[in-house]
Amino acid sequence: MEDMDIVALYWARAQEAIARTDEKYGSYCFTVAQNILGSREDSEECVNDTWLGAWNAMPPHRPVVLRPFLAKLTRRLSFNRYRAATAQKRGSGEIAAVLDELRDCADPGGDPEGEAIAAELGQAIRRFVRQLPPREGDLFVRRYFFTEPVAVAARHCGISENHAGVLLSRTRRKLRDHLRQEGFLHE
Amino acid sequence: MNEQDIYEGIGQVDDDVLLRSEKKRRARRPWWAAAAAAVVAVAVTVGLFFPRGSSSDSTGAPLVTMAHAVAEAHYPEMAPYPDETAADFEAQYEAWRADKKEQNREIDNLDGLKAYARTSIPAFLSGAAGENRAYSPLNVYMALSMLAELTDGESRAQILTLLGSDSLEALRGQANALWNDHYSSDGATNSILASSLWLDEGVPFDQNTLDTLAETYYASSFQGDLGTEEMNQALQDWLNGQTSGLLQEQIGQLTLDPETLLALATTVYFQAQWDSTFSEEKTAPQTFHSPAGDVTVDFLHRDSSGYYFWGEHFSAVGLRLANDGGTMWLLLPDEGYTPEDLLADSEAMDFLLSGGDWAQKKQLIVHLSLPKFDVSSQIDLEDGLRQLGVTDVFDAGLADFSPMLAGDAQGIFVSQAKHGVRVAIDEEGVTAAAYTVMAADGSSAPPEEEIDFTLDRPFLFALSDDQGLPLFAGVVNQPQGQ
Repeated sequence: MEDMDIVALYWARAQEAIARTDEKYGSYCFTVAQNILGSREDSEECVNDTWLGAWNAMPPHRPVVLRPFLAKLTRRLSFNRYRAATAQKRGSGEIAAVLDELRDCADPGGDPEGEAIAAELGQAIRRFVRQLPPREGDLFVRRYFFTEPVAVAARHCGISENHAGVLLSRTRRKLRDHLRQEGFLHE
Repeated sequence: MNEQDIYEGIGQVDDDVLLRSEKKRRARRPWWAAAAAAVVAVAVTVGLFFPRGSSSDSTGAPLVTMAHAVAEAHYPEMAPYPDETAADFEAQYEAWRADKKEQNREIDNLDGLKAYARTSIPAFLSGAAGENRAYSPLNVYMALSMLAELTDGESRAQILTLLGSDSLEALRGQANALWNDHYSSDGATNSILASSLWLDEGVPFDQNTLDTLAETYYASSFQGDLGTEEMNQALQDWLNGQTSGLLQEQIGQLTLDPETLLALATTVYFQAQWDSTFSEEKTAPQTFHSPAGDVTVDFLHRDSSGYYFWGEHFSAVGLRLANDGGTMWLLLPDEGYTPEDLLADSEAMDFLLSGGDWAQKKQLIVHLSLPKFDVSSQIDLEDGLRQLGVTDVFDAGLADFSPMLAGDAQGIFVSQAKHGVRVAIDEEGVTAAAYTVMAADGSSAPPEEEIDFTLDRPFLFALSDDQGLPLFAGVVNQPQGQ
């Protein structure tokens, strides 16, 4: 079924919308969650939460393409769940390594967190990723958005794991410079 | 601001960047990668027409080395498959959808067509003797329909009978509807039936007949000095162009004799993506029990909820192709039976043409293991066609080619009818989902039962449209050819 037809089902408040979304994007969203959580059970629950989230979001939203819309929803829900769980213990997904790497660009003693700042930070990162050359951009997104292991992301981008490691490290350094210029990092 | 804030911030990257990142980049591309395809299939049928006695008198005639078109076909234009990341996606989508709908045709005499497929599939696929065999019913249908246009009397009547049409006009309508209904050239699914007629220089022809071929069958006609190296090259170039170079090996061996007066060449090129992809991570080598002994080949794996079909001596599943591309049916003979047995089994043939409208089916979680296959075959159609009742066109004394040739058509007959096919599948799809697991939710209960469907011994396949008409059918005895 085409995305536009599925979205129309959400707008018509037809329960079938969820079944159709599950059919088309169930395994895709599961993968997004599984990379973050590393647990089948948790990932399945997050996928179900995603359907609920989609149901609540449409209307008013009317995404033209469902794929990135659902990926972002699943990613956010999975990361929230990860954070709640890490209050007790560390998760077993790829996320721990990804966060370790992103510490390169962070400033632990920096600004207090707040919704407004978080939104601005998101926009600054969005602009940064947008201007990256396609191969670097894709690799960055596979690793830090989809939370894929470096080996998987490298294969996806058609390069060796070593090469991917070098490119990612270089891109993180660029991101750090970018965030400094934009005033998010002070040193 | 810690690393978690940054990770959350990355969640705001643009949708088009996300979608772009999902397309795989390849370091080294396989031979068909340009088509980004899950299924690639091509077929070529060439028939050569010789005069009786083969009295060539080309000496002294001016040497014409370039073929020139004497009637040209024009294919419908089709908007490209929409770019999901484009700002004007909706407008692109509407244009594409409209063009796709424009090609839809009602097929009047579906029963006649299915009867033809039903008798011809066993006739052309049987006797593989441990080799691969593949046949395109639709390709041969178009070639035979054109042959009916070029002939008259009993020659034509025999063809009409086989194709299940009661008149040339009915056949014309049917062939035109089939051509259009199967035509797609949007870049995502490409399905093109291409036909051509090659005339020797100096052969008088009836322009009306050629115009009919161009309008009804989208066939172009060329005239030149058949049998010369240049003309052979022109013919091969045309065939390679229509089949995207996938049958180069067989086509390279195709040459016309200087005695040839006419050659009829039709092709089918088909390329589509699976509706639901196979994950490359899951592809692994496994043993396939071929009649020539065990071989190790890559198997594609997928676990998904779907229909599982069965009959007295076989079981089957269907894999949907994206974008209304049809279905690939996979028929596995029960232990102790062979594809050859299924070709002779009327129930199995019924299933092959059922389009999935079948009583014995159940929705299950199917754990599918399918060998990656690339099969090609070259068959001589003459024996099969004679067996199916088309005999006169092969006989110099009986063949009647009067509508084609403006002058004396006596003694012209079909001296050769070759059919080459190649069908290949891989896991290629549009996404990079790492694995497929049914994520259950309350509204649609998943099936509780599961079944392993492992095609690790010879099997039959058919690539069919939604009405159950096979574009291609074949026997896989050796998944990676010889």
